Amino acid sequence: MISLSHPFKLSLRDLELILETALSQGGDFADIFMEYRHYQAVIMEEDIIKETSESIVQGIGIRVISGEKTGYAYTNEISFEKARSAALTAAAIASSPSPIKIASLTPREIKTNFYPLKIAPNQFELERKVDLVKEAYSACLQFDPKIIRAKVALGDVVQWLAIANSEGLYVTDIRPIIRLSCLAIAEDRIKREVGFAGAGGRIGYDYFLQTHPPRQIGEEAAQEALKLLEAIEPPAGEMPVVLAAGHSGVLVHEAVGHLLEADYNRKKTSIFWNKLGQKVGSPLVRIIDDPTIPGFRGSYNVDDEGTQPEPVLLIDKGVIKGFLQDRLSSKLMGFPLTGHGRRQDFTCFPLPRMANTYIDRGEYSPEEIIKSVKKGIYAERFEGGQVEDSGKFTFTISSGRLIEEGKLTAPIKQATLIGLNIDILQNITMVGSDLAFSPQIGTCSKEGQEVPVSDGCPTLKIEKMTVGGRL
Amino acid sequence: MKSEKNLNLEKEIKELQLLAESLVNYGQSLGADEVEVAVATGKEFSVNVRQQSIEDLTEANFRYLSLKVIKDRRVASASSSDLSIETLKDLMKKTLKRAELSNPDECAGLPDSVEPYVDPASLNLYDPQIAHLEPKEKIKLAFETEKIALADPRITNSHGASFGTTEGAFILVNSRGFSGFYKATSCGLSVGIQAGDTDHRVEDGWFSSRRFFSELDPPEAVAKKAIERTVRLLNPRKIKTQQVPVVFEPPQTAWLLGFLFTCIAGTSIYHRASFLVDKLGEKIADPRVTVIDDGLMPGRLGTRPFDSEGVPTRKTMVIEAGVLKNYLCNSYAARKLKLASTGNAEGAGVGPNNFYLVPGEVSPDEIIASMDRGLILVKTIGHGLNPVTGDISRGAFGLWVEKGEIVYPVSEITISGNLGEILNNIELIGSNLQFEAAICGPTIKVAELTVAGE
Repeated sequence: MISLSHPFKLSLRDLELILETALSQGGDFADIFMEYRHYQAVIMEEDIIKETSESIVQGIGIRVISGEKTGYAYTNEISFEKARSAALTAAAIASSPSPIKIASLTPREIKTNFYPLKIAPNQFELERKVDLVKEAYSACLQFDPKIIRAKVALGDVVQWLAIANSEGLYVTDIRPIIRLSCLAIAEDRIKREVGFAGAGGRIGYDYFLQTHPPRQIGEEAAQEALKLLEAIEPPAGEMPVVLAAGHSGVLVHEAVGHLLEADYNRKKTSIFWNKLGQKVGSPLVRIIDDPTIPGFRGSYNVDDEGTQPEPVLLIDKGVIKGFLQDRLSSKLMGFPLTGHGRRQDFTCFPLPRMANTYIDRGEYSPEEIIKSVKKGIYAERFEGGQVEDSGKFTFTISSGRLIEEGKLTAPIKQATLIGLNIDILQNITMVGSDLAFSPQIGTCSKEGQEVPVSDGCPTLKIEKMTVGGRL
Repeated sequence: MKSEKNLNLEKEIKELQLLAESLVNYGQSLGADEVEVAVATGKEFSVNVRQQSIEDLTEANFRYLSLKVIKDRRVASASSSDLSIETLKDLMKKTLKRAELSNPDECAGLPDSVEPYVDPASLNLYDPQIAHLEPKEKIKLAFETEKIALADPRITNSHGASFGTTEGAFILVNSRGFSGFYKATSCGLSVGIQAGDTDHRVEDGWFSSRRFFSELDPPEAVAKKAIERTVRLLNPRKIKTQQVPVVFEPPQTAWLLGFLFTCIAGTSIYHRASFLVDKLGEKIADPRVTVIDDGLMPGRLGTRPFDSEGVPTRKTMVIEAGVLKNYLCNSYAARKLKLASTGNAEGAGVGPNNFYLVPGEVSPDEIIASMDRGLILVKTIGHGLNPVTGDISRGAFGLWVEKGEIVYPVSEITISGNLGEILNNIELIGSNLQFEAAICGPTIKVAELTVAGE
């Protein structure tokens, strides 16, 4: 069992006094975010366990909200004096000394634990972690003589957190996360290519012993690198694109998810801000963000403001149904909280963020979808993407195949695809029945803050999209 | 008041240096062959102003310690933001124990010798004025910048303007007798804006960033540049897929150079994860191309007296007149490649000092005028960069040029090519080099890239 006693030496009374200090200059709301994180990592390359590392990150962040303004201060010393001094710094954002009363803190229990573990990642013996790394490494390197290099990285984190706010909330949680990844380099006489694979989530190490052996991850990376040795340059220009189930979830993350985060809509910078209740996509499109999927990388028992998370229906039958909210935006917009206030760590204040975002399943079989395309590309694996508030977004495929006369043919190399999100949503003409999630290794970056996320989608067809290949 | 603030940082550095020294000694007393301890300490301030109201303001002190031990050529490392001596001693013990799990690594170890480095004071890294700026002045800078931008009737919304400062020190101690530190400051002013109505929005922004406050561009300059960069994107057209010459504006040259850095980093080379493996001494670029890494340029953002292992920084020719002269290495990559460290250690890996493309003699306007038909690349999104092959594929925004004149903006396009080919196809290099970041370059013209559109 993960120890339930958290490592913070501040009493509820201490926290109340700190919150009082935070609101001593006025302001509407204050909260305290305390965390202690323990990281462990193992790296193997060039046939040796090159290094192991361990990291301790602890700190306390104090936020004061006054109208639309946020004051923030943090310290990496968790002591009453330091926290109180940080509270005073954050308090300076407000300037109407009519202090509101702090509600007394009442501990709240976690309703459902989405990551129940027998053994916490930090309690699993390091020797056994090393064995898992070696298994992935050997499987990769021995897969084919053309694989000349492999690199395996294993990292795990246990995060203890406690959140207290001026409305009387006090809640604690312990979040585990593991990520195992393998990089393979294949070389033949004239070419060199790279393949990548990984797995993880808010899971325990039994996942790698029982469900997903590291050997598979090593082999997958090797296969990808070998496939790319045979790959041709992707075509360039507008054409139909079929997205493979699972890996293609990055599309929904970039094209839709970010611009339905409440802050961009409250500030009216998102193309979606005036489109709630309006049809923006094909009737086949239903999109959900669900932070409550057990074991998923983007899941949490409470968000980083202490809110109980809920699945949010973002788009139904092509119509925008909701935004992802944090406290500040929900209050200013007059919408209910959804539990999507997340932060990278104690040095950052929360922002509305995605958790696990996916396009729901449709009716077509993947074969039917591929068969419907005369000439186009099949996007299989992805490196990530980016979007701007205007709705222009990209994602980069690391490998795929050509589709010719309804059949998958030659493998293709890296290409970036670009489009305007509302055009692409309207151009989704077939949605498969095979919903799957991308490997649980994704990280999303917004305003310099990184948080773990996951995304998913079934096989789907975009009637036309610009593919950035080469002539 | 003023001198007191400076004294506080000096005093803190002394204390942390003593802490690091005692931790190195402790590691050795436990049986470590080699120990390295690094500490970063400092203050950060940032304010965001949006629609002429403070959106958020963050102020904090940070401290972070990292350590590395080597025993019987086995390596382990650790880091902590809890700097209490009990935690650190415990961490040292556990790290040394953990080293037994690593395999012996012939190339592991601290730098072979302790070499003298230049006096940090001579490098102008620390601006006392930044330590003394009052929050009010800082907030005002962000307010003014956004105000000027919003005053333009073509600007329809704002992501806000930000001003931020950091002030801090890096302290390094190792068991070979190195014990040093340097102080540094930085400041940055930026604004992000939109033009056009909701369904036809375009967006861009601008920034200025320096070590010295007096060298920072004023609000007026940052706002005007942001406005100009944003409104020129209004009413974009799509273009046909084709191969054309492409002009890279300085921020675009900068990411291209960032990608080049990854490909010439010693850590990528020994792992054979770069298309530039085994190319030392060969011609890899047009003879007009010279790229330098220089850690000793006074006052620049990539300047530091020594790297994260204590190796003195220097000026290293990376590409000289088109020929690959040096890979950039920390001491580990250097041993792997049987080369010498170039003073580029950064954390556990390799990082740039001031890494730049040497400017040429033509102005950006002359470069554009030289183009009969082609694209000026002004903004890119997405991450399609593959160091193993050199392949590049990114989403792009640009300005279309006909007969040497900008005729309209274009969007929803991608550019794709290969860094190896691009380096050989650089036809013109601008004279306009600004050191706004550690990695920077002037405007360049590349003979041909695939631009995908309709």
